[in-house]
Amino acid sequence: MREAFYLIDADDVYVVPDFISEGYFTQDVIPRELQLTGPTTVVRGKSFHYCLPVGVHRSMTDLILKRAREVAPGIPPSETTLIITGHGTGLNQNSTKAIRDQVDLITASDAGYAAVLDAYMEEQPFIAEWDQLSQTPNVVVVPFFISDGLHSFQDIPVMLGIESEVGAAASQREVFRHNPHHLRGKMLYYSSAIGTERLLADVILDQVADFDNLHLSL
Amino acid sequence: MSSASQLKKLLQNGIHRIGQLELQTNVHGFQYVICHFLDGENTVQPDFGGLIVHRGPADARDLSTYSEDGTYRFTKGQTNLKQGWVMTLANENDLLLALDQFYPACVGLFLAQQGGILEIESLREKLNRQTGMYRFARSISDAGAQALIQQVCGPAHQCAKKILWQIDETTPLDDSEASRFNGIPSSLSEMEAIPLLCREACNHFVAECRKAAKAEFDAKAPQA
Repeated sequence: MREAFYLIDADDVYVVPDFISEGYFTQDVIPRELQLTGPTTVVRGKSFHYCLPVGVHRSMTDLILKRAREVAPGIPPSETTLIITGHGTGLNQNSTKAIRDQVDLITASDAGYAAVLDAYMEEQPFIAEWDQLSQTPNVVVVPFFISDGLHSFQDIPVMLGIESEVGAAASQREVFRHNPHHLRGKMLYYSSAIGTERLLADVILDQVADFDNLHLSL
Repeated sequence: MSSASQLKKLLQNGIHRIGQLELQTNVHGFQYVICHFLDGENTVQPDFGGLIVHRGPADARDLSTYSEDGTYRFTKGQTNLKQGWVMTLANENDLLLALDQFYPACVGLFLAQQGGILEIESLREKLNRQTGMYRFARSISDAGAQALIQQVCGPAHQCAKKILWQIDETTPLDDSEASRFNGIPSSLSEMEAIPLLCREACNHFVAECRKAAKAEFDAKAPQA
């Protein structure tokens, strides 16, 4: 990461962590490696402005709603439960908070879902109980991860009941291509990780704008 | 002067290679063209000699992510860049963007070195600031680190970078093919090629240090 300094001619640099939440990497590793000691750090003549990670920005809501609409086209939100799912462990309270914040924002919006819930792989409420958590005939599950990987390709499909056991699929992305799944008396729509949404580029720019609004206005 | 402008000057002065990339100027009406150096003679043929053409720098990341046989290139310095493609670039800004995907910061590091402002970090500085699971890597012995460099680094292990760092401020690397490598993976001179530079031990090396440190620790454990 220290090589990044030599990539840049500009005197002002905005650093936006492509992470789903705050935590060890955004609070310890990145500042250490980039030699950042505060919101703005001058490193050998360049000003580095350290922004919040993309996952905690309120505009992640737009990405989640877009993804939910795309994975279940034409399905009325009023007959649908939207579940945002994450890892959920005692080590990672920050990502749980980011998900709960999104649930609150979407519930308060005019998206019109019958219910908006959080559920987790390793803490309650468990994503494996998705059908018991939902009162509607349709359920949309959006993984709140920065990228696809073992959790979205393998672990969560098993917990949802889409796959019977964890194992490498011939093409891992196939698991997202067979919506809807008729399971447990409901229609389940399973999306790939929210971090794969192209509009994430706008969230990066939103974090840059928020940094300026916060720090330049002081 | 911007890095892109300095790059332009380097090419005007005869530089035509960095890592495994051949850099060409004024080919088929394009200001810059880059390809694998083994495909260099194909580009001037009609239709670029059948090479797959990529216009602009956008595909550079994908072209450098996997080797020919589909193996993930876990460090960009690996000497297993795939062949069969050519990239056309309209100006030196696009050329720099493309080079920074293939070999991140390669031009900036070289220019900084030439300007006497490149900061180099010793192995101990790198290891001593690691936290979490990599914290244990700092306990590797000097002898263990010296041996590991010869097992992991240099052209014999697919790395095209010149090691600039020492074990610590006062301990240079033992002499070996890895320590002597000049960052130019061919027989070209420094008049024709920009060397790839390694200013601090990479993440792959740190991970190997951790394994080696654990092995040293286990070897010293009292026998039951």
